[in-house]
Amino acid sequence: MKLSGREDELEELLVEREVRQFLNHEAELLDARELHEWFDLIAEDISYHMPRRLMRENTAEVFSGDSYHFDEDYGSLKARVMRFDSEYAWAERPPTRTERYVTNVVVTDYDDEEVEVENNLLVYLSRGDSEDHDFYSAKREDTLRRHGDSFEIADRKILINQTILSTDNVSIFL
Amino acid sequence: MMTDDMPEETAETLREARDALDDGFFPLKLFQDEDLHELEVERIFGQSWVLIGHESEIPESGDYARRYIGDDPFIFVRDESGEINLLFDSCRHRGTQVCRAEQGNTSHFRCPYHGWTYKNNGEAAGIPQKTKAFQELDREEYGLAHVPRLESYEGLVFASLAEDGPSLEEWLGDFKWYLDIQLKLPEGGMEVIGEPHRWVIDANWKTIADNFNGDSYHTAWAHGSVVDLELGGEETVGHAGTGESMDRHIHCDGHTTSIRGFEDEDVFLTYPDEVVDDLFTKDGLSEAQWQVARQALSFTGAIFPNFGFLHFGDTTDDPNKDVAPFFTIRKWRPLGPEQMELWSWGLVPKNAPDSFKERMYKMYTSNFGPTGNFEQDDVPIWKSITEAAGGQFARSQNLQLNYQMGMDWMSEMSLDEEWDGPGFAYTENLEEGGMRLFHEQWYEMLVGNDREDGIGTSMNVEVES
Repeated sequence: MKLSGREDELEELLVEREVRQFLNHEAELLDARELHEWFDLIAEDISYHMPRRLMRENTAEVFSGDSYHFDEDYGSLKARVMRFDSEYAWAERPPTRTERYVTNVVVTDYDDEEVEVENNLLVYLSRGDSEDHDFYSAKREDTLRRHGDSFEIADRKILINQTILSTDNVSIFL
Repeated sequence: MMTDDMPEETAETLREARDALDDGFFPLKLFQDEDLHELEVERIFGQSWVLIGHESEIPESGDYARRYIGDDPFIFVRDESGEINLLFDSCRHRGTQVCRAEQGNTSHFRCPYHGWTYKNNGEAAGIPQKTKAFQELDREEYGLAHVPRLESYEGLVFASLAEDGPSLEEWLGDFKWYLDIQLKLPEGGMEVIGEPHRWVIDANWKTIADNFNGDSYHTAWAHGSVVDLELGGEETVGHAGTGESMDRHIHCDGHTTSIRGFEDEDVFLTYPDEVVDDLFTKDGLSEAQWQVARQALSFTGAIFPNFGFLHFGDTTDDPNKDVAPFFTIRKWRPLGPEQMELWSWGLVPKNAPDSFKERMYKMYTSNFGPTGNFEQDDVPIWKSITEAAGGQFARSQNLQLNYQMGMDWMSEMSLDEEWDGPGFAYTENLEEGGMRLFHEQWYEMLVGNDREDGIGTSMNVEVES
């Protein structure tokens, strides 16, 4: 019994390691602005959702059921990726200089096909000819689906901390 | 002109501005000027009708939302009798703000400092240990202060910090004709979905005001990515002055709208047949308004000084999906000479099927708001204008920005004499008179004149009297 308990733990550890490697790889692609390569990691039934955070008197983590910043399916997310190929996508000319920090990775559930994972994302943003910087800070709830020897992202919820955004726009993917 | 009560330097700036406006110019430096900012807050935002929100944001008794006019915090709240109030958010005892959340529902607002409590209509309800501590204090005199004037138009709630002046009805004037088309077309009117997008950007508020007052010229360049990707039709986002569309720039009682449409066609902003057939009604509209709505592909508009709207058809979030319309209203709230907070709401016909409301809200967020495929590219542009305006070069060189497009000696321009709506209807969208109209009112209010002085005449062609 004791031994099989250890085996379970070992398996969980390996799953967590795979997930961490995948999320780090994904962050690297986005930081390098290799958006097409990033989009290759997106499942065709993707739900990519970033609700508007709310501020309420007596509740800490509350998000709008109606309003959002992103609510993308495969086609609309692809259009957003493709848009940045245009020489008129001024928001990212030149591209935002970003570094993504993915932490607090917790695998909450998994089976042979999918892994449910919560993680925190901190993105440092440096823009324009300026020393200014901004941050996006969010918790993410992801569903990763096994795909070949890696994963694809089947579902992502981005639970941002700010109710009022401090950037000109959101022209990067979180 | 009431410039004798301001510093000579500011008065001189305004005299220079007057000369510039007469030539169709606007000095670059005025897009970032500390003294002017204070004057704008006092004389424009302190005197105008400013958008607070939409009635549908606070449908139930006790529903509230924090709102601002300039620097001043207010509580937008529906009281127990169903009336809408706008209360200054500051306890009458020590000044503490009594509303902490962005939105919510409450019967009372409680001050965290000494526990004074107010009903949601602003009346003082409880003063701790009053019988001992404040025996002589008349509770009725210590309610939260109401904004001097609060009025609604078709669900839109506006407030004015000025005790006197034109009513909202007078302020909107005949522009209501165009507003009605947006708001009364569907039976039951329009409602807001969820909560507004809010974001703070380092740009002067007049940059976005310019943009919403008829900048059809920018669309194809600034939003070329949307054109490239076929996320919007050629007639919606293509180059101004080209194509087959019927383009009109309307200047009406100080407010503006830019219309694109197709003559004699049933366009209805590309609303689906189920909405057009089941919901759109002539009940609140004249035949002429109905005809404009029928032929319209898009409306962009602005109400002086800081309200904008976009009601667009023929857009999508995915080139492989059908096009759909969206409707957004927004306000720009100045936070300083180089900063503003944008507030942006998505609206839908109140009685439309839920699935269509969801699609329409999706169209809004895909195109506008902080993540919008259009608006992502606008904001850095406005920011860069503000930065260029703030140094000494704009001042030392007295750099003038050009708004002469459409002045009668610059380009051929004519009025649509057949136009059935109020105001001046220009037959071209290659003109910048809407921005000049905005600058005229901005000037008149800053020097202390009546805003009406800046809206009386055609901004382009000479009109025979």
